[in-house]
Amino acid sequence: MTRVLGDAWPLPGLDDRNRAFFTAGVLMLQQCKRCQHVQHPPEDVCEACQSFDLGGFESAGAGRVESVIVVHHPLHPGMADIVPYAVVAVALDDVPGVLLTGNVTNRAPDAVAIGDRVEVTFEEVVDTANNVTLKIPQWQAVDG
Amino acid sequence: MHGAAAIAGIGESTYYERGGSPHSEFQLACIAIQRAVEDAGLELADIDGFVSYMDSRNDPIRLARALGIRNLRWTGSPWSGGGNNSCASIQAADAAVSAGYAKHVVVFRALAQGQFGRFGQSGGGGGGGYLGGAFAWNAIYGLMTPAQQCALHTARFMHDHGISQEALCEISLACYANAQLNPRALRYGKPLTREAYHASRWIVTPFHLYDCCPENDGAAAAVVTTAERARDLAQKPAAIVAAAQGVGPAFATYTQDTLGSSHYGQVAEHLWQNAGVVAQDVDVAQFYENFTGPVLMAMCEMGFASPDGIESFVKDGALQGPDAKLPFNTSGGNIGEAYIHGFEMINESVRQIRGTSTCQAPNVERALVVGGPGYSPGSAVLLGASA
Repeated sequence: MTRVLGDAWPLPGLDDRNRAFFTAGVLMLQQCKRCQHVQHPPEDVCEACQSFDLGGFESAGAGRVESVIVVHHPLHPGMADIVPYAVVAVALDDVPGVLLTGNVTNRAPDAVAIGDRVEVTFEEVVDTANNVTLKIPQWQAVDG
Repeated sequence: MHGAAAIAGIGESTYYERGGSPHSEFQLACIAIQRAVEDAGLELADIDGFVSYMDSRNDPIRLARALGIRNLRWTGSPWSGGGNNSCASIQAADAAVSAGYAKHVVVFRALAQGQFGRFGQSGGGGGGGYLGGAFAWNAIYGLMTPAQQCALHTARFMHDHGISQEALCEISLACYANAQLNPRALRYGKPLTREAYHASRWIVTPFHLYDCCPENDGAAAAVVTTAERARDLAQKPAAIVAAAQGVGPAFATYTQDTLGSSHYGQVAEHLWQNAGVVAQDVDVAQFYENFTGPVLMAMCEMGFASPDGIESFVKDGALQGPDAKLPFNTSGGNIGEAYIHGFEMINESVRQIRGTSTCQAPNVERALVVGGPGYSPGSAVLLGASA
């Protein structure tokens, strides 16, 4: 698929903390192996029990739009063709408390509203320089 | 030891539009510091401490050399963010002089974005490349700037409490109206109408152009010393009744329980606890307006109104002028006077205590400054005519 912000938009610089999130092809968050707390963004330490023993949690990726903005002002001339675009904050049904940000792939920017139901989808992009396929989590609006 | 310290002197450079300063940023800092020291009735050699925030360029050693200060006892800078620490910097100076680590600490902020480039532009792209670290999580989705970050909170706050665009407009109109009384203000002689506000372009919903503060060049400084010493100096002291910091979520982190917030709940709790008074005891308030929306949230979190009542609290010009129910951003603030990262609001509060503001509120006993909302740690300081 074409990326919401265009194919020239920067890619995530992968590191040990974010690699699973941006490449797994499922919505992979960080979970404490000791107390099962899920946190985002990932940290070196569990924010609930301070354990260093951290692994992954696969969310089903269903959620609700908790806030939405529409960006109109291009930060630089290269963004003139990208604006307007919407950014959402999404709460997941299976991970209380956490919000993920993203774009909604199947709606016009001004057609996204707080309360909309969304499901995770993925922008697949090949980072040829690093020879890795990225699967960047995004959101599609669903009825109901 | 609340009230043990006071602001004894204030000074500022001329304020300029971004890129308009004939001086370097460091020279602007030196101008503001010299004027604050002179205002206090001190000599540069009396200064033995420096505090600033988000400033790695005008460092204390460089300043000490340039200003002939041979005996530096205290330097400090609050961590993280930017204008959120404007009042934390006063707190750090209060701590130093109250504890006796230094006698006369200069607190200042200088910025020349014409010389050094702009804030709020970082982390974005469009020409390829990579976004790493904390930026990766949100900038990948085009959520990059403070305007966008604060808009995400404001949109939820407005949704939850039925707040209209007019409430945001009122913040900007009040800053512009009060700036018309202040010849230092960059928007002096350039009034804003409600119609022009609504007609201005969208930056990011729900912020129009006039919801966003401009970027400027300039410097402002204040001299903090003990209340006892301040009594013998040139000006009426502005007692530091209380100062406080408080935290919210980490940078680039959004949580359900802090969405729609400016993260000032804890600042309020700490400040009023330290001060022994409440919001309704305040005679005049300066609220850092990076953007209008977070001011509404900060007003609620600081205890001036409920979220459901904030629109009626600010509507129909209720914040404008010296006789407002709550005289607000009386110099024009970041939007109307100049964006000196909120430090112009510290100096304005000192003027309110002295009775010398161009928009002077009546009988000022307590003047509040609330630092930049939406980022953590937040900070606030309450100044008083007496401790």
